[in-house]
Amino acid sequence: MDSSLHEVWQAAAGSPFLPTIGKESQFTVAFLLLLIGIGFTGYFALNRSLLNVPLLGVPASAAIAVGTVYMFCAVGVYV
Amino acid sequence: MKPSTIATALLGLACSAFASSQQSTVKLPADFKPPQVFKNANLVHIISLEKNYVKEQVNVLIENTAAEPQEEYFLPFTADQLSRVGGFEVKDRKDTAAGPFTVDVVNYDSASSTQYYRIRLPAPLKSGGQQTLGITFYYLSAYRPLPASIPQEATQYLSYEFSPYAQSAYPTVKQKTEVKAASATIPDYTKVEGHGDVAEFPQKQGSKLTYGPFGEKAAGASLPASVRFEFNKPVTHISELERDIEVSHWGGNVAFEERYVLHHQGANLSSQFNRVKWAQSQYFNPASHALKEMRFPLQVGSVDTYFTDTIGNVSTSRFRSNKREALLELKPRYPIFGGWKYPFTIGWNSNAANFVRKTATGGFVFKAPFLEGPKQAEGVEYENINVRVLLPEGAENVKLLADVPESSIVETTVDVHKTYLDTIGRTAVTIKARNLVDEFKDRDLIIYYEVPSAMTLRKPLVIFASFLTVYAAAWAIGKVEVGFGQK
Repeated sequence: MDSSLHEVWQAAAGSPFLPTIGKESQFTVAFLLLLIGIGFTGYFALNRSLLNVPLLGVPASAAIAVGTVYMFCAVGVYV
Repeated sequence: MKPSTIATALLGLACSAFASSQQSTVKLPADFKPPQVFKNANLVHIISLEKNYVKEQVNVLIENTAAEPQEEYFLPFTADQLSRVGGFEVKDRKDTAAGPFTVDVVNYDSASSTQYYRIRLPAPLKSGGQQTLGITFYYLSAYRPLPASIPQEATQYLSYEFSPYAQSAYPTVKQKTEVKAASATIPDYTKVEGHGDVAEFPQKQGSKLTYGPFGEKAAGASLPASVRFEFNKPVTHISELERDIEVSHWGGNVAFEERYVLHHQGANLSSQFNRVKWAQSQYFNPASHALKEMRFPLQVGSVDTYFTDTIGNVSTSRFRSNKREALLELKPRYPIFGGWKYPFTIGWNSNAANFVRKTATGGFVFKAPFLEGPKQAEGVEYENINVRVLLPEGAENVKLLADVPESSIVETTVDVHKTYLDTIGRTAVTIKARNLVDEFKDRDLIIYYEVPSAMTLRKPLVIFASFLTVYAAAWAIGKVEVGFGQK
């Protein structure tokens, strides 16, 4: 047990933890990112080439990655 | 409380961080007997039977009778009492600024009928010196309903056995025991021979019985006595409480879930439960020893509450939430009578900003009540408490403070728990405690931790890599010629 933690808590009084995306906008952000990701995926599916793997795959993966995390949170599974 | 730090660094991918600490006990030789170095110059013992647990306060003026300074004071319990005692705290009654008293359970001969708690004074007491100790502890499962079975609408009586001479490992010069019952209806109590001008003890004033003052008694003096009093309220006992707190940085949320196994330890029903009589009694005679409602005052800002049991959602709950309070009112699926059991689960969410703060050094500090639980006029006792805090994935350098008596904490571990979207798993801080009561509801649990930014980005990075692999694989597989070639 570390009895100094009371002071640590008091010292941090002015800086509550605020997430990058607030709870109320998680679903909108997640939905849009997933839509963008699926859109890029569809375009890549029709134009499969080595160049399109980084060109379309990277933004699609990035959008789906962040979108998935926020969609989990938006539906109540706070990861 | 003995200050010690639990710090853990999470290592690599597959390596699970693990740290653990055990209950504060002190090992002494099997033939241990407390040295006769103190005497109790004056002792007031208050036994409070007002709640469904017993609260005992021993206010004692101790005097060092040895030639050398002494700092270890022992308090005896029977082996049965030791398994049910908890919430042991010691204060200096005259000097509140006196340093902390360290309390340990003495581990010497498990077969002995007498066991001890050791109280280490903040500073050694010099020869002939005196100090006033205020010792408080609680007994769980302390009562016996008498009669053991009663009709549904009858009044419940509880019986409690005690000794008018306070338990002590030292001689006591002068002492007095006060028993405060839950009501003034005390049909039976043990009468003992008086001392001085008084012919017979106890003296009864309303709901209070006073035994003493008694003259000098030897160490270990005991006198069997019992009191039987009216207690027409539920004797609520939580045999198991699992409290999970999940901190999410991505979601900005702290999720709580509490799983209770609740028992009513009062008088059993002497005949079958009668639903019609029960419904009637709600109109003309609401006083009953059955538990029919619980009120959970949650932290302001709590949302998304739920109340389920083994069947599923229980719809008889109400959640009042506004700027000043967040009160969850539950009605169990059935009224709970003596000998009945009701396991149930409640849960709720809250914004992380209410519980987590960022420190100047880049770490995070989390604070929540160690216990919440129902607020009942008759009190609630908890036998086994398992508080588990799931910190974000990759949290490291964990330090914690549980502001409950250290002798009640059985084990503290820092481990790893894997759940959705986790690759290395979340840091799980588990604190197991025993024998606490609802008077410890407002005590804090504070945890400091650090999360490197690479760890924060771990979840999206893993998904990113997985999807990029899928695209690369889709392209590569598309290149494979599977048709018949032209000749």
